[in-house]
Amino acid sequence: MERALVLADLDVEEPNDHILLNTKLENEEPVTIMLPRIDYSRCIKCGVCGEVCDTGAIVAPKGRLPFVIPRLCSGCRACYFACPVKAISEGLRVIGHTYHTRVKLGTTSFDLITGVLREGEEHTPPVVIAAKKRALSIPRDLVIIDTSAGTANHVSIAIKDSDIALVVTEPTPLGLHDLEMILELTSTLGIESWVLVNRYGIGGSAKFLDKLKEVVSSFKTKIVALIPYSHEVIHSYVKGLPLVIMHPDHEVSKVLRYVSNLINEVI
Amino acid sequence: MLEIVVVSGKGGVGKSTLASTLALYLSMRGYDVIAVDADADAPNLHLILGVNRWDYEEDYVDAWVATIDYSKCDSCGICADVCPFNAVRYVDGRYYIDSVICEGCLTCSLACPRKAIVRRREVRGKLRLTLTNYGFPLISARLAVGRPSSGRLVAEIRSRAKELATKDSIIVVDSAAGIGCQVISSIAGSNAAILITEPTQASFSDLKRVHSVVKYFMLPSALVINKYDINPEFTDKILDYARNENIDVLGLIPYDDSVPESITFMKPLIHLYPNSQAARALVEITSKIEERIIKSWHTWSRRFKPLKFIPYKPLIIKSSS
Repeated sequence: MERALVLADLDVEEPNDHILLNTKLENEEPVTIMLPRIDYSRCIKCGVCGEVCDTGAIVAPKGRLPFVIPRLCSGCRACYFACPVKAISEGLRVIGHTYHTRVKLGTTSFDLITGVLREGEEHTPPVVIAAKKRALSIPRDLVIIDTSAGTANHVSIAIKDSDIALVVTEPTPLGLHDLEMILELTSTLGIESWVLVNRYGIGGSAKFLDKLKEVVSSFKTKIVALIPYSHEVIHSYVKGLPLVIMHPDHEVSKVLRYVSNLINEVI
Repeated sequence: MLEIVVVSGKGGVGKSTLASTLALYLSMRGYDVIAVDADADAPNLHLILGVNRWDYEEDYVDAWVATIDYSKCDSCGICADVCPFNAVRYVDGRYYIDSVICEGCLTCSLACPRKAIVRRREVRGKLRLTLTNYGFPLISARLAVGRPSSGRLVAEIRSRAKELATKDSIIVVDSAAGIGCQVISSIAGSNAAILITEPTQASFSDLKRVHSVVKYFMLPSALVINKYDINPEFTDKILDYARNENIDVLGLIPYDDSVPESITFMKPLIHLYPNSQAARALVEITSKIEERIIKSWHTWSRRFKPLKFIPYKPLIIKSSS
């Protein structure tokens, strides 16, 4: 049975899923945040707006008229609520876009939601929140969320309330280090984690697999699959064609289908 | 003093490998090098440089987190409406603030009619310093897991590096992936940017995005293409881009299994497999950085400035209500 699937690319700083799926982004919608506008005829130069601003976006020396630096503003509206004379009104600034694309791949199709941060903007969370909201508004059996690298709050916002986290790591000191950080996050958020060890087979893999197992068991979770290190994966990536389509009988394709089946069983 | 930042946009394309090799090479050549790991939510440079202890660690306390005083709260829900980060949840008849998501912006406590929300200081992460086995210091940051990314933390470790620096020091900054606040904080005020990419559509797309941020700050730039031979035609396309954008091409690194191998041993490639193809290419690239960028800074920095200054412009769609 075919499942209604939504893929949400929430790596808004560097969204890549549409590139790997060879598709053009469609149905653009802006993501806006509040931009303070100061009514200088009302302003009493008290400096409170500058004091409450946490990002340094309002320069407000006491006794002088304040001004806003839009790039630094996170749109939190603290200044709007703090101003004692209601001299601040709400403008709108676009910090990114979301897209809704219907992806057709062979005989199947699914919905892709993509968040894209505008170049030069610093605040990723509003774009992640907007893209996630758009993805969750589509009727579906399953949402797959692709997060950005790291463990900061653009990742925690993206994975929050998920049922399962697929944690991809590799048998290297770097993989081990980042695995500990991400498992700390998923366990804090109470999300069940399935660990996938990618590039299994590169030098020292056996030694690091033991270490990965220790970390994984200390977080009371499990390794669900080892993905062998293979040059065909790189070739399919370069060609822009998913491996499971390019080489359906490849060892890695089999592992990926096995993991998909595990997820299917959960649904 | 010269501050060189290594950026890529995409993660996993060789940023830390290049940054660590550059620091090592310059240090071996007798330069006073300071390495800075500006990827606070997944710091890795210390692992590549074989660091297993820190000489100095310090809590970085600049974050805030809001909490509700339930003796005053009457569950009106205004906090949930105004929170720009969806950090306020309603569970079992009461509102609570998710301390992982909360950015501590003060908005809810200002909007609360009963003044029931207070915010308290919180540790955002750690600043760390150590002398590596290779004789140069490494400054690194680690963000508390799941918490708001911090450009300020990156700015802080960069300024710590500057405090250690003399007028002849070379500061090598390994930036985070992406184009967000940590990356902008790594780029702003640096002297030169080294861009590294792979010949894939995804990596090239990410490179162009981070390069546009580099251009906002008018940094002269150089380019390295990693694994260039996995897709030679695409490599040509990236080289065209570099020519049109006035980016200095430092060299190409071939695909080489000894790179991931060296990472598993926590030893720099140029020490472990000095004769591997990738190590040779890396040494050639870093020697070009010394010759062109460091020794001929005045000529190079003028020659490879972005062609046009295109300042950042906010996109404002509603100026006031």
